[in-house]
Amino acid sequence: MATGCPFALDIFAEPEDHAKDPGAQFDFPLMPEGQAYDMGHAPDGTPLFDPRILQSAEFFRNPYPYYRILRDHYPVYHDRLHNTYYVTRYEDITRCYFDDEGFNTIPKGSSSGVLGNTQLELSGVEHRRRRNLYGQHLVGQSLKNRIPAIQRQAREMIEAWDGISDPRVVSMADGVRTVELGMAFANEFPIRVVCEVLGFPKEAQNDFYYWYNSMMSGLGGSETHQQGLEARQHLEDYVEGIVEARRKQPTYLHDEVGNPISKDIISKLCETKVDGDYLSTEEITSNIALVVGGGGETTRGAILNMWHLLLRNPEQFEALRNDDSLWDAAFHETLRHSSSIGGQPRHNTYDVVMHGVRVPAGSLMEMVDFSANHDERVFKDPETFNIFRDDLYTGKILRSGYNKDGRRNHMAFGVGPHLCPGAWISHQEAVEGSRILLKYLKNPRINMERMPKDTDGMSLKPLGIVSVRELHLDYDLA
Amino acid sequence: MTESALPVIGANGVAIPEGTRGDAGFRTYEVFQRERVGQSTPKIKPAQLVSREFADNPYPLLAVLRENYPCYRDWLNNCFWITRYDDVTSILTDGANYETRSKAWRLGIEGFGRDLRTALPVLTAQANAWDASCRRLAESAIADFARRGEADLATEFAARLNMQLWLAMLDPPAESAPQVAALLWRLHRGVSWDPHARWLGAAAADELVAELAPLLEARRQAPGGDLISAVAGLELEGGPAQPQDLVATLLEMDFDTLHGALANLWLALLTNAEEFDKVRGDSRCVKLAVLEAFRHSTPMIAAQRFARHEVERFGRLIPKGGLLVCSVAAANRDPRVFANPDRFIAGRKDICHREARGQYRADGLATGITPGLGPPTKHPAVPEDRPRSLYALTRDAVITASGALLEAVDDMVLADEAKPPSAICRRLGEMHACWHLPVRFRPR
Repeated sequence: MATGCPFALDIFAEPEDHAKDPGAQFDFPLMPEGQAYDMGHAPDGTPLFDPRILQSAEFFRNPYPYYRILRDHYPVYHDRLHNTYYVTRYEDITRCYFDDEGFNTIPKGSSSGVLGNTQLELSGVEHRRRRNLYGQHLVGQSLKNRIPAIQRQAREMIEAWDGISDPRVVSMADGVRTVELGMAFANEFPIRVVCEVLGFPKEAQNDFYYWYNSMMSGLGGSETHQQGLEARQHLEDYVEGIVEARRKQPTYLHDEVGNPISKDIISKLCETKVDGDYLSTEEITSNIALVVGGGGETTRGAILNMWHLLLRNPEQFEALRNDDSLWDAAFHETLRHSSSIGGQPRHNTYDVVMHGVRVPAGSLMEMVDFSANHDERVFKDPETFNIFRDDLYTGKILRSGYNKDGRRNHMAFGVGPHLCPGAWISHQEAVEGSRILLKYLKNPRINMERMPKDTDGMSLKPLGIVSVRELHLDYDLA
Repeated sequence: MTESALPVIGANGVAIPEGTRGDAGFRTYEVFQRERVGQSTPKIKPAQLVSREFADNPYPLLAVLRENYPCYRDWLNNCFWITRYDDVTSILTDGANYETRSKAWRLGIEGFGRDLRTALPVLTAQANAWDASCRRLAESAIADFARRGEADLATEFAARLNMQLWLAMLDPPAESAPQVAALLWRLHRGVSWDPHARWLGAAAADELVAELAPLLEARRQAPGGDLISAVAGLELEGGPAQPQDLVATLLEMDFDTLHGALANLWLALLTNAEEFDKVRGDSRCVKLAVLEAFRHSTPMIAAQRFARHEVERFGRLIPKGGLLVCSVAAANRDPRVFANPDRFIAGRKDICHREARGQYRADGLATGITPGLGPPTKHPAVPEDRPRSLYALTRDAVITASGALLEAVDDMVLADEAKPPSAICRRLGEMHACWHLPVRFRPR
């Protein structure tokens, strides 16, 4: 210390962590699954929460202990680095989802940069009108009519495994076949179903699959955004031709013996009016892009996660083999435990105070469905996968949610006005597809050798907040 | 239920909630779906804007934004980046459309106390204290290191002078000055996204209240010319100023610009020999160098503003509550306004050489934006009953201190010219300054 200076110059010393990283990409160490990295404590013992963790590799593979810190100590967490408020408790999120005036979906999110203008950005009456345009084709009798098509697509895909020569997808040794369920089935199956119910010609399915993949990778303003925009343009060019044709001549879905069941969705949309006017090609394209986005990635994740979790819990899998009706419970418990949609952004229309935190009007509030699904205030022992749990509602998906008999719905599809319109068809795809898979797969088990490993090099990589990317299964042929 | 509380049923048969009557509530499909698809911005990734690379040297990345995406929608960090000079100044001077949120809000202690920094006696106390003590304190700091022939100008000169001016302004008893200084430092460092810094900052606010409460009371009884006495003597609606009001006021005052600008000025001089020679050869050039340092390497590289309501600007619809990060660093190096903007030129011809007015300009020339010092006044001259602006006070303090240093030493060079120091943000969002500036020199 220099003489004459009334304070210690070391107060200007650099922060301890600067030497590691002054920016947001702090390299957090990877922790054992379920344990949080110690981000420090306040003098009163409250654990601190460093917002940089939210963009870290550690968080993506091991998010739940961090969400627990938020739920317990910062139920409305103001992330000043990313200018976002995170809402993490089940009850709070439910209330916000039902109040679509106070917590609106505007303005346009990053997803619509690629998908186009969709109902995701709408609220209130505008939203309800458009949601129902195609949502009605994905529920009730319309949906039942489509189940045979779903089952047929599943059978066709599985039976085609015999002809696949790529060993990364299907291989065989000593009477045991190994399939990578993602590439062999789950990645493409939901897209094929979507193609079919929309009414896309079969010959366009490969293009459609490419456009879908490009649009998905272009979401979020990433460096592949331009590729996503180009794919979206190609989709629109293609759809324009189809729409013009269907406006003149609608086409139909058919049952197994060739009888028409109902018009496909594009044909239905072509004859739909809003405010006395037919939907434009742009509107139809954007909604198709949304159906594809919503119906592809999420269902893919649900199928892979469900098989992954069931095969890691063999006693539950065995029970399911003996009782076909348990598939519904398995599906919903999978989405509670490890869904592939993390949450929904909302903007508060007015100033609100939640848990003592004032949130100025117009703030971005992330409703973290992942966290709601692991809220121990609602679900006992939430980190455990248990298809027999008695606190999860596993019946018909309800827009109103479910809160009776000590059971609650999971939040993977949201709840309230913006409940996922593809929830019912996604459920049917995952369950019907899995039922058919089970018929073909004799004694299925995870091929541990080929599966991605966690940091210890031994155990399986945790599911984290992205669904399992590859699932290598062995099954007996004889 | 009173009549006014009954729900109004709209034409569609849907109850219209109270809050939506008027212009609030739902917006329409057409208003918000004005772009068919989003902008593709392949030349930059939003993660780069919160990276170490950015914290160390933001200028190259900001140039990418300024030249390609002047209103960049950053989805990762949920903000709009504004990077061109005229755009930035148009926002910083538009209080009707854009809101400045308090440091107390950013620190998480909103409502802690009243912000009294614009009260005339408070402004006068600061001006008087700085004017009276700047030269003396600068010479004292220089005297402490001059005999060694070496020093760290960033800590021993720039940071120390700033802190001592603050202490001169508050005039605490000598025995509590170290503690007050440490608490002030922690308080201001707490205005951060970093949870550790924030906890320390919030705790420092409470500790400062405890430390300063007896002083406030004592000076209410026996006032002096210091800022605490000025606050104690204010006649306010809602009763006399409390210690919390004093601390809230100290929190909202600019704390970094003098420190950062002084360090950055000397870094610029020591790494630009020609300009340094110019300044050494003509003491009137010191002022021009200071003005250029404010532009070239402003320590406060960005200012945050929030849209008070939906605003259509820069070809975009900015929603109510939207955050605009006004990148002062990018604006100050906008080639549309300054030639060779990355060069440090003491006495450059395209910068105004007097305090700017209104839209950051004087004589038709632009000035370096220093957001911590507030926007330029719209009045043509300082009213006679008010002290000089904070901008003028800070500028003059840097000039005075730098002049004193030039007079006291000769042949100043970087201690290690092979590894010249640079300005960095120690934490993302903190001031961009030269935090260590080791030099060698010959005392006079």
